[in-house]
Amino acid sequence: MPIEFKRNRVVFRDVVRVEEAEALLEVLQKKPSTKVDLATCTHLHTANLQVLMVARPRIDSWPQDPELRTWLQAVLIPTS
Amino acid sequence: MNPLLEQFLSESRELLEGIGQKLMQLEDSPNDRRVIDDLFRSVHTLKGNSGLFTFPEMTRVLHAGEDLLGKVRNGEMIFSRELADRLLDAMDFVGLLSNEIESTGCIDASRAADSARLAESLRALIAEFSVSATSGPSRSIPVITKSPVARLSELPPLSEVPEALRIEAFRRCGDGENFHWIAYQPVPECFFQGDDPFHRARQTPGLLWGRVLLSEPLPPLVELDTYRCSLKFHLLTAAFHEELVEYFRYVPDQVEIAAVDPLWLAISECEPENRVGIENDLVSGSPVSEPERSPESIEEAAALTRILTAQQQILASDDQPAWLSGRLKAVAAVLKNLANSLGNAEAEGQIEASLAEAVASASGLPLLEWLNAHQSQFTSKLVPQSAANGSRANAEEETAATATTKPAADDGIKFGRRAEDNQTGPRSLKVDQAKIDRLMNLIGELVVEKNALPYLAQRAEAQYGVRELSREIKGQYSVINRIADEMQDAIMQVRMMAVSIVFQRFPRLVRDISHKLGKEVQLVLEGEQTEADKNIIEALADPLIHIVRNSLDHGLETPEVRQANGKAETGTLTIRAAQQADRVVIEIVDDGKGIDPAVIKRKAYEKGLIDEAALERMDDRSAVNLIFAAGLSTAAVVSDLSGRGVGMDVVRTAVEKLNGTVVVESQLGNGTSIRISLPLSMAVTQVMIIESDGQLFGVPMDHVIETVRVPRHSIHRIKQSMTAVLRGRVVPLKALNDLLGIPAQHTANADDELSVLLVQAGGGVLGLLVDGFRETLGVIQKPMAGLLSNLSIWSGSALMGDGSVLMILNIREIV
Repeated sequence: MPIEFKRNRVVFRDVVRVEEAEALLEVLQKKPSTKVDLATCTHLHTANLQVLMVARPRIDSWPQDPELRTWLQAVLIPTS
Repeated sequence: MNPLLEQFLSESRELLEGIGQKLMQLEDSPNDRRVIDDLFRSVHTLKGNSGLFTFPEMTRVLHAGEDLLGKVRNGEMIFSRELADRLLDAMDFVGLLSNEIESTGCIDASRAADSARLAESLRALIAEFSVSATSGPSRSIPVITKSPVARLSELPPLSEVPEALRIEAFRRCGDGENFHWIAYQPVPECFFQGDDPFHRARQTPGLLWGRVLLSEPLPPLVELDTYRCSLKFHLLTAAFHEELVEYFRYVPDQVEIAAVDPLWLAISECEPENRVGIENDLVSGSPVSEPERSPESIEEAAALTRILTAQQQILASDDQPAWLSGRLKAVAAVLKNLANSLGNAEAEGQIEASLAEAVASASGLPLLEWLNAHQSQFTSKLVPQSAANGSRANAEEETAATATTKPAADDGIKFGRRAEDNQTGPRSLKVDQAKIDRLMNLIGELVVEKNALPYLAQRAEAQYGVRELSREIKGQYSVINRIADEMQDAIMQVRMMAVSIVFQRFPRLVRDISHKLGKEVQLVLEGEQTEADKNIIEALADPLIHIVRNSLDHGLETPEVRQANGKAETGTLTIRAAQQADRVVIEIVDDGKGIDPAVIKRKAYEKGLIDEAALERMDDRSAVNLIFAAGLSTAAVVSDLSGRGVGMDVVRTAVEKLNGTVVVESQLGNGTSIRISLPLSMAVTQVMIIESDGQLFGVPMDHVIETVRVPRHSIHRIKQSMTAVLRGRVVPLKALNDLLGIPAQHTANADDELSVLLVQAGGGVLGLLVDGFRETLGVIQKPMAGLLSNLSIWSGSALMGDGSVLMILNIREIV
């Protein structure tokens, strides 16, 4: 399971595919306070990225993959 | 396989053949405009067709070839032998792919690498051979040297790039690296196509920096559509242009790739206005080249013009339907999408404003005005390198001016060409061969059945004594006979094919082989229009290739040797076809070193093909014909071309199977001529019917020389064999009854003369004693089936008009 929904926390692992986006969106819609753990994630599908960009959940831990981390931090950290 | 694909494959084959021919034609006359145009058109058509299917491997190579030819056509490259070689290779590859598709229905995955390599090498040629280095970049042309300066109006927003990275990039530019700016805007529906734009962006080759942006304002979380992509990407990469084009090959319409001038990296901090100033100072004098228009952009321009015209018409209509506001919104949506797709973000607001105005006044005028005012702006967008922007007005005006005039001119050419394409379509029909074969069989049966009518007439008279009826049947018969004959002739015509089908592969073959062997050969083809039955023509292909190869390998000498022997450096190989009576004769003549009969005889003796006596006795003419014997090779070494000693034997077998003959004549030092004679058609065999001991037999007319009556007393017996002197020549005689084991003597006529059928057999003339001669008849010969097929004295059987079976003798075997 590349994505795991815990009580107050979503854990992304490895490659998160487009199929997960729907469920992710649903969780974040229901519980906007959900936190996101990206530590072991190596890639996430654009659809998931988009959900994260809209929902702006709190990111608990950033990906260990430095490249992905740069990409995500550029868009997911509020600039203002 | 679906019919569309089938048609594509058969068309591709035709196109490929044409392309090959034209390439070689072009090699001889590199400046022939007409040929270049034709060639370009063929490749373009083929590429377009391949795009209908998912064969990116094929399309890619063809696209590269098309670019290359486009350059040649525009006079930017000079056509050369090397170029021809590479293009021919590429076309061979495409042919290979077609064959693969035909047999397996798809292209093997391993071909992708070959395809990419081929396409790359073709593109590399473009750079290598380009006449003028000043030609501008186009989407499909790799930027290998320093990229020309793109238009100021579309300076990428490099200020987005963090300063540290930008400085690093600038430094690397100094080291000779090139950077490209990519604006990648995936289509909103891309998720449904299994696309992951983020992944694609991350994997971009040579990626230095990239970021995700919103291509449209994202809706609040509750309304978010997960499956609609609202993101776009800006990327800075150090990869080559061609690499990027290759990488984004599946989404070429979604990316814009621009070469980054090092200057921009340095000055991107400035305000746009200042930037223009600084840049002008810095690069004044450097040529701003007109970007090349790719065919796509012309097509786009045409489509765009159509859309815009349609919108204008809608807006101009002055009826006032209840749904007017809906209509206006629809038009506005179209315009907005158009503006977006062309990268004009500002237009959206303007359109909205005009729309609001239009809805308020319940009239299409405000929108129409806006459209009229901005139409040129739309068209100008299609110059690929000029994403004009309203705020940078001065740059835009210039582009708009050039762009509005250009599409019109180009459109004219384009559509003219299309129309012409349709007209030149061949007026022929493609029919499955099985259908023709069936027709052939049916007419065969009709011919046989028709022959039954005279018998019927005979019976009506003899058996029932009704002469009138008999005469009428005969009358009807002659009519049916005429029609059936014509019909047979017509069907034969359908099956007739020109030998050019076989000949057309020779220019290529000769060219390739002679290059490989380092020989200069001029190929002369004559009588290409000569026609023969399809089966004959097809069966001819392989033997001819063997012969041509042999001539090239053994016959023709290298230029040095030729010169030393006082011959022209370039050897001549002539392939000539002609129709002689009911046979087609093909000659392959070379002016090479000829065949040495002494060498052949010795070789044949060494291999045990002839005995010592034959070695002594054999004349030169027969000796050279020994090359057709199995297992004989004069070549000292086995090459990949010839020398295995099977070639000419294969030729003889193939030709004889078609009831043909092959003869070689050679003059040592002056060349060799090989002559193949084949029947025009295999379907109907003319046979002479002979009688022996009350039975009828057929003898193929090909073998019959004449029929004579010989008085019994002029037949001499020498030991067991009979001979007679006919026309001053001693002819051996054989009794057919003896040969067939019929225990009866041949009967003589009232003057005590015996009937003798002179036949050509095994290189000599022979007289066959028979009882009597009958008519000659065209019959459809059926081969013997089953166990009977082992009886080699019969070449087949045929049905006669009265329903009886006629056995046809195989003269070669019985004597």
